[in-house]
Amino acid sequence: MRQQMIDTKTTPHSSGEADECLFEYLHAEMVNYTLSKSSNNKEGEEELSRLEWMGFSVGYRIIERLTREWNRFKDELDMIKFICTDFWASLYHKQIDNLRTNHHGVYVLQDNSFRLLEKVGTNSNKQYLQESPRLLAFTCGLLRGSLANLGIISTVNAEISTLPSCKFHVQVQRI
Amino acid sequence: MTIHNLYIFSKNGTLLYYAEWNRLNKSGITKEEEAKLMYGMLFSIKSFVNKISPLDPKEGFLYYKTSKYTLHYFETPSGLKFVLNTDNATQNARELLQQLYREVYLEYVVKNPLCQLNEPIQSELFKLKTDELFKKSPLFLSRSI
Repeated sequence: MRQQMIDTKTTPHSSGEADECLFEYLHAEMVNYTLSKSSNNKEGEEELSRLEWMGFSVGYRIIERLTREWNRFKDELDMIKFICTDFWASLYHKQIDNLRTNHHGVYVLQDNSFRLLEKVGTNSNKQYLQESPRLLAFTCGLLRGSLANLGIISTVNAEISTLPSCKFHVQVQRI
Repeated sequence: MTIHNLYIFSKNGTLLYYAEWNRLNKSGITKEEEAKLMYGMLFSIKSFVNKISPLDPKEGFLYYKTSKYTLHYFETPSGLKFVLNTDNATQNARELLQQLYREVYLEYVVKNPLCQLNEPIQSELFKLKTDELFKKSPLFLSRSI
């Protein structure tokens, strides 16, 4: 109990400059490392499943901590809303800008200024559009992992049309 | 007050970035040669200033001035060199260079995982932000001559 009280004091929002860029630089290196390890580079398709898997494990663990003070969610949409607001805010310091769903298990989460893409480009130029999807694989896994721990089995894809905005497509698998 | 041009050199003398705004006199040599010449001169001035200084040189070389223009020099502890040519009326160009380093170079080169360090800067966003910073600076007064 005591430990818990100390822990709540260090809210994610109070982190300083150095803490933030530590994650960004580490993430960048993880991407580089994963790409350098993947041997088969067929049709320009990059091997990012390892990165996605890392994201999954991180998301699976992180959700335990973030939902600590929450009641149980009443349905799937409630969980997705939690992901869009609190989860996103504690990881990327902003909320998802737009959430769309067809009410049949497909959700589209749009972030108009995703933190990992912010410094890469603007909508006025097309530079780095080819390379930037690799910066999203980890976050896709993060989403999939956190949903998995909440009891939703899903597949997550990301899409970039103009930097620095991106969309995450969450497809829930119904059994 | 006018800003003429800007050079950014890496710690081993590679020209990372060059931009010009109001430059009337061309050097007549290629950009690469000009950059080498510039770097060589800066290197010499730096060691000259440090050797000849009768006191502890602390910051070392800061700027030089001719009858027509002033060259401002700013070097980071990591060896990155920012060089800015302005007219003689310009005062605190050093602050502007520090701002360029802090707000543009750090943000859009160092924090961009797709940018290689110590290689010429390709990022369009960096170019855009540099241009923005200089154009909104009070030191920048573009005169169409």
